[in-house]
Amino acid sequence: MKRYTIIIALLFSAFYVSAQTKSSTLDRSVRPQAAPAKPIKIADYQTFQLPNGLKVFVVENHKTPTVTYSLVLDYIPFLEGEYAGTADITGELMKTGTKTRTKSQIDEEVDFIGATLRTTSSGISGEVLTKHNEKLLDIMSDILLNPNFKPEEMEKIRKQALSGLQAEKDEPSAIAKKVGSVLMYGKNHPYGEHMTEKTLNNVTIEKCNEFYKTYFRPNIGYLAIVGDITLAQAKSLVEKYFGTWKKGEVPATKFTMPAPLAKNVVAIVDRPNAVQSTINVIYPVTLKPNTIEALQAKVVNTVLGGGSFRLFNNLREKHAWTYGAYSSLQPSKFIGSFKANTEVRNSVTDSAMVQILHEMKRIGTEPITKDELNLAKNFIMGNFGRSLEEPSTIAAFAVSSAINNTPNTYFKNYLTNVAAVTPEIAKQVAQKYIKPQNAYLLVVGKASEIAPKLQQFAEGTEIQYYDMEGNRYNPAEKTKKVEGDMNAEKVLANYIEKIGGEANIKNIKDAVIVGQTEMQGQKLSYETYYKMPDKFMVKMTMQSMVVMQQIYNSGKGQMSSPMQGVKKDLEGEELNAMKDQTVLFPETEYQKLGYAVKLLGIEKVNGKDTYKVEFSRGAIKNNEFYDVASGLKVRTESAAGVSEYADYKAVNGVLFPHALTQSAGPMNLKFNISEIRINTNLQDSLFEIK
Amino acid sequence: MKKKLVLMSCAILFLGSVFAQQQRVKFTEFKLKNGLDVILHQDNSTPIVAVSVLYHVGSKNEVAGHTGFAHFFEHLMFEGSKYIGRGEYFKTVLNAGGELNANTSFDRTYYYEVLPSNQLELGLWMESERMLHLKIDSIGVETQRAVVKEERKQSYENRPYGTILEKTFANAFKVHPYQWTPIGYPEDINKATLKEFMEFHSIYYVPNNATLCIAGDIDEQGARKLVEKYFGDIPAGTKPIYRPSVVEPVKTQEVREIVYDNIQLPAVIMSYHIPAQGTEDYYALSMLGTLLSGGESSRLNKALVDQQQKALQVMSFPFPSEDPGLMLMFGICNMGVSADDLEKGMDMEIEKFKKDGLSPKEFEKLRNQVESNFVKSSSSMEQIAENLSNYKVYYGDANLINTELDRYLKVTSEDLKRVAQKYLTKENRVVLHYLSKADKK
Repeated sequence: MKRYTIIIALLFSAFYVSAQTKSSTLDRSVRPQAAPAKPIKIADYQTFQLPNGLKVFVVENHKTPTVTYSLVLDYIPFLEGEYAGTADITGELMKTGTKTRTKSQIDEEVDFIGATLRTTSSGISGEVLTKHNEKLLDIMSDILLNPNFKPEEMEKIRKQALSGLQAEKDEPSAIAKKVGSVLMYGKNHPYGEHMTEKTLNNVTIEKCNEFYKTYFRPNIGYLAIVGDITLAQAKSLVEKYFGTWKKGEVPATKFTMPAPLAKNVVAIVDRPNAVQSTINVIYPVTLKPNTIEALQAKVVNTVLGGGSFRLFNNLREKHAWTYGAYSSLQPSKFIGSFKANTEVRNSVTDSAMVQILHEMKRIGTEPITKDELNLAKNFIMGNFGRSLEEPSTIAAFAVSSAINNTPNTYFKNYLTNVAAVTPEIAKQVAQKYIKPQNAYLLVVGKASEIAPKLQQFAEGTEIQYYDMEGNRYNPAEKTKKVEGDMNAEKVLANYIEKIGGEANIKNIKDAVIVGQTEMQGQKLSYETYYKMPDKFMVKMTMQSMVVMQQIYNSGKGQMSSPMQGVKKDLEGEELNAMKDQTVLFPETEYQKLGYAVKLLGIEKVNGKDTYKVEFSRGAIKNNEFYDVASGLKVRTESAAGVSEYADYKAVNGVLFPHALTQSAGPMNLKFNISEIRINTNLQDSLFEIK
Repeated sequence: MKKKLVLMSCAILFLGSVFAQQQRVKFTEFKLKNGLDVILHQDNSTPIVAVSVLYHVGSKNEVAGHTGFAHFFEHLMFEGSKYIGRGEYFKTVLNAGGELNANTSFDRTYYYEVLPSNQLELGLWMESERMLHLKIDSIGVETQRAVVKEERKQSYENRPYGTILEKTFANAFKVHPYQWTPIGYPEDINKATLKEFMEFHSIYYVPNNATLCIAGDIDEQGARKLVEKYFGDIPAGTKPIYRPSVVEPVKTQEVREIVYDNIQLPAVIMSYHIPAQGTEDYYALSMLGTLLSGGESSRLNKALVDQQQKALQVMSFPFPSEDPGLMLMFGICNMGVSADDLEKGMDMEIEKFKKDGLSPKEFEKLRNQVESNFVKSSSSMEQIAENLSNYKVYYGDANLINTELDRYLKVTSEDLKRVAQKYLTKENRVVLHYLSKADKK
């Protein structure tokens, strides 16, 4: 058990000027001097360990009647590969059921006491009013020790995660973060891999159970308890609620530091609608946390961009290009990273890049003045002092020291070590860690406008283009190659799954689809009738007059246009094409219909990535496009023209598009589907060919 | 003897209550001759102090054609003063080991610094300087004009769903100045002139329209003298302060708009006209917001996010405002779910509540949640300074920081049902559907 109290006199030398000079007029030009500095007191914490290895840190603070718990599991990041997302899903699954509680029960119990509870892939945390303290612990311990992952909960989380991935595609900062990490570490690195639609769909309950059993172990756990509680209470509660948690061996993986860049690489993620460019200048660094060097680097980074400093003053206050410009230099036990970032209007993207690189270069070449250095140091010391208002800071210090295996003296000597940074040290550290010539210059923005201006930073190399997943592509090619083992069969199977599954589709015995459109100011109504397996009729009417009708019935087909007195029986390829129409979802029976399918690649349709699949039979070639994210079909290209599908809604458990657009040459028709009726027992007589 | 009696009755009162007695926030208040309201809260546990000034002016005080003015002005307040050079404002606070920021709402503009407590005098000097001696020039105005426009892009235009508040308030209000949001419209931001800014300062940035709050490691007597020293001789404002009295007419028809945005998942935003903050119905509506979306077991979360999986996220809360405002309900669709479908789901939950109300157990849960939220809302010096100032300015009673919970606890379960029936009606609302631009044909 450790126990310490540190009192540090503030380092600002100051003398007190009495405020009570009772002159009638105050000389406002005189800036008030600071009063004598108060000592900064780092409060006590206490620590103990359970026999199962769980390390516990307690910070007593009775100011508000609340207690917070924060458990961190310290395992080494590892590659999840084709199951990427398993850890995150498990984190979410943790609070969806135990052996004795359902998700609703957990939610109800937590809310009933007005508590908060959060579970993640690397821990659990919660906050509660003192009087309900034990109730929350009871729930937390149950979640941690007796989880029960259920398939239905897993599917909900998977769906939420897929939606989350989808939503991210319009968040420029999320895109920059994801693509940036792929650039820095590569996709085959724990820091560079990301869950995708594909890997999310691979995750199973078994995988989640395996992750839980391996990594949710007390011997890698650090539990911080802060607030209105005593050590004795904490001890007995922790023993009661976490004492039976079993320890286990946790694997330690190793991973490599990426090689430094020889020169800058310019990378663009195209967002054709962007009104601002999100600029990230990034690269990995080796910098261990809780070291004197990390503190010195913090001072350097602060001068560069740790708040209202050089980047901010230059890009915002001097040039007015942005709302803010900052940098960060993040130490890590594994691999740290540098980032300078800003968001600027499209037209000044190149100018902003020039200034960011200029500031990065300047900090390593020109000495930082004493005043500027002091400003940064005072700012850091002030932050440290202010952070101590929050009692959880002390717990965070304790846990950080334990996890990084660094001495407690780091925080004790924090202020002294910041104060000791001289311009000379700052310059050396800047040269070591600020690399304006070995960075990824990543810009998420409107490529057509910014790419030509960014070429100058590519040092003779090509600008690299990445999609939102961090896959590189050649912008000259419209269709991008598909990575991994996706193929046409899988795209189609996924589509069938997404619209409701084969079973639901097979349940459809007959169907009526009614829609409306307008042609040259005239309202047209459109009705399609299907009866499985081989009957089909489509009818277009204008003011209840039939304009056009097609029928297919067991091998025979007929087309008629009563208003023009046309009626003809169909033959050959025309008849075949009509036979194809009897199938509501050709994807379910393309083999029977004699089509061969091939995945041609990824192409954008209305700004979204889609899989382009070719259906061919003899001379016929149609292309169908399936949205990568949703799996749904959004477009068909055939000799007859282009159709697009949107506004999918479920009818009898199957999703049907309710908005169709068809264009053939200059003609462009929009259909709104007003009604879909399934299994209404359509009579055969409806399809009679007369 | 008398004292004892009071204590006795208190004890009896609290015996019956299951709710935690909120840690009392002690404070003193006084008014300077020039009209400046001052609130002091002494807490010597950490050597820091929060100094804040609330000016009772927000976008509500603007007139059409001059939107965004109050917020633009907030940026200019960091430009400098007679004795603080341009760019020195930030620097001075950082050098003292402090932090600072400001924000502008519909109703007020709020500035604060958190400093090491030995720098209290510096903080007071700086705030008094910009109240008395604000100095802005055309360079400052032009710089901040461009910065504000970038802020608008970054926070609203280039961000998914970023225009929700703007669209909501524009649709909901036709005569009241809540029809525009504090960020304002770019064409108005382009128009504002230096002369207008100086005029604005002389009307609104005066001691009789301001509340100064000091919270933290102070000695109350000493702090009081310093306040007198730096603020005592600032002249009171003499120009009339414009406070809109216009009342938004009662709505009789649902308003709907489809907004095409750079988004992937559709969203539904339903906003209902409600009374101003601080009214009895407002407290009931605030609790109704918690009932609907506070915690995972809340109505909308449980039904729409968990059971039906129609939504990725839902939220419902009354937007606090000095004049009658809006209760917002916001949902982002899960993949493959249409905005229509989610709207139906949200409506169903609302209608169910209007019809059936809630059980005693759910009501107890709700009260527990409200208590917990209230206890957590005043934990840092900065929060305490802001809460004290808001309570003082909006309700004339800073002590609500200790007692506002009682107002919530007075709400009955019948009140909840009543306000739902009264305000959550179709003709009283604006419904926005946010759809992907890709779906716009």
